[in-house]
Amino acid sequence: MSNLRFSSVTKIFGHDTSKYVALDQVNFEAENGQLVVVIGPSGSGKTTFLTIAGGLQSPTSGNVTISGNNMTSLAKKEQTKLRLNKIGFVLQSYNLVPFLTVKEQFELVTKVKKNNLSDQSLYQLLDDLDIRSLVNKYPNELSGGQKQRVAIARALFTDPEYILADEPTAALDTERSMAVMSLLKDLAHKHDKMIIVVTHDMRLKELADKVYQIIDGKMSVYEG
Amino acid sequence: MFLAIKEMKHEKLRYGLIVALILLVSYLLIILTGLSTGLANLNKAAINEWGAKTIILDKDSQGRLAQSYLSAQTLQTTKGSKISQYNSLVTSTGDLKENAQIIALSKQSFIYRNLKATTGKKFTSKNTALVADKFKKDGFKIGSKIKIANSNVELRIVGFTPRATLSVAPVIYTSFETIKPLNNGVVNAVVTSEKHQFQDAPSNGLVLSINQFINKLPGYSAQKLTFNFMIGFLYIIIFIVISIFLYILTTQKLPNFGVLKAQGVPTTYLVMNTLAQSFIMSVIGVFLAIVFGLLTSWFLPSEVPIVISTMNIVLTSVGIIIMSLLGSLIPIRQIAQVDPYKIIGG
Repeated sequence: MSNLRFSSVTKIFGHDTSKYVALDQVNFEAENGQLVVVIGPSGSGKTTFLTIAGGLQSPTSGNVTISGNNMTSLAKKEQTKLRLNKIGFVLQSYNLVPFLTVKEQFELVTKVKKNNLSDQSLYQLLDDLDIRSLVNKYPNELSGGQKQRVAIARALFTDPEYILADEPTAALDTERSMAVMSLLKDLAHKHDKMIIVVTHDMRLKELADKVYQIIDGKMSVYEG
Repeated sequence: MFLAIKEMKHEKLRYGLIVALILLVSYLLIILTGLSTGLANLNKAAINEWGAKTIILDKDSQGRLAQSYLSAQTLQTTKGSKISQYNSLVTSTGDLKENAQIIALSKQSFIYRNLKATTGKKFTSKNTALVADKFKKDGFKIGSKIKIANSNVELRIVGFTPRATLSVAPVIYTSFETIKPLNNGVVNAVVTSEKHQFQDAPSNGLVLSINQFINKLPGYSAQKLTFNFMIGFLYIIIFIVISIFLYILTTQKLPNFGVLKAQGVPTTYLVMNTLAQSFIMSVIGVFLAIVFGLLTSWFLPSEVPIVISTMNIVLTSVGIIIMSLLGSLIPIRQIAQVDPYKIIGG
């Protein structure tokens, strides 16, 4: 079984007087088949946690392992390959390429991966997220919520093992937020994916299998 | 290519403006290269038609045909085709005037054999002349009488020959006997069709290869250098234009590149995308510039010495495309350095 583990991970930015501890001795664990929500206020270190989990930056100290393999020891190229093949990112903003239509956003993924992912699975995904009618639209023709759903669909399209989502429901109303979270939970349970969502939205913890709380870089299991 | 083409289709105005700039600079480059070649041809076309390898001039001539007077002693010890040159205004009875280079040759010389008459025939007797095509364009005909200014010498045109210009003036080929009253029988140079052994140079002679001789034609090197300077500068402009525009465009797109990198799109894919854009823009710009350049040369009056040869087109196109690709190296460095984490924020 795959898992993601943070062991005493610390991330410090700057030096001396400008030193800022973004993550402080963080211990975290998630497994396939789980929807894990990390809740914290703005500036608590949520995105730093997510970018380290996705191999976008390295911790100052501590270890990050994916299925027992030390992620920090991977070369940059291997980290990129890992992100392309095994990790799906859903980010707060800038998620979509502005000059590609919704359909082309998915075509780009197939071009880069050099895979012929089926149209059938794409349209199923678009139907699940209620965005099929948007396939020929450009990002600037979409509402914030529609953009976010397209970004989620794109992250799911490649069938990654892990999905790392940064405020995936930030631009959605309650009904759509819950629908997206239900979809993510289904994916985690039925398709054995590991899904980690960082958010400040306390409502999302209701659907999570495991909830962590992060405040001022310190993480703990939420026991609300 | 996918990203490159999609972006260019979506951002037609932005990329259209860059293509327009490449087109304008390339057009200027093609016209300047054409003029450079055309003017160079006007200077040396006749010499190229001779099929000569070496020229022997007087050692004090500084490589200039008009300043060279070969002594009888030098002529005795030198083998090859003798030539005499005389520069003068010529007029016809119909009031047509032309500044011309008169070159006297022996009918036995290899130059005479190499000359081609497109209309009429080569000169065979005294006071007959084979003249440059330009005379025909200017209204002279076979049988036209031409008078050498400030003399009593009168020639009858018996034929026209192509590519016969020397130092920007059309050439009149005639016999030594015809030119004798004009230059007192002076022989200016001896030309050989074989490479002359330089150690065999006569004591008062200056042996030059034909290319060396061409480079010493009055004004030729300075003119070539000026054009080369302008052409080189235009290549640099293309490099700078592409660099600046792609740099600005790339800076605007860095957040997108950061997100794409975060999603696992390799840097090489993004770099190839930028290179592809640079390549596509330069190919379109160059293609249009060639079309406009050819149209311009077609419509320009014949007095403008422009020659847009296939070789020039190929070399210019390759040069522009290479400069465009080099121009995209700076933006490529930006892409390579973009840190997805910094774009996503923490």
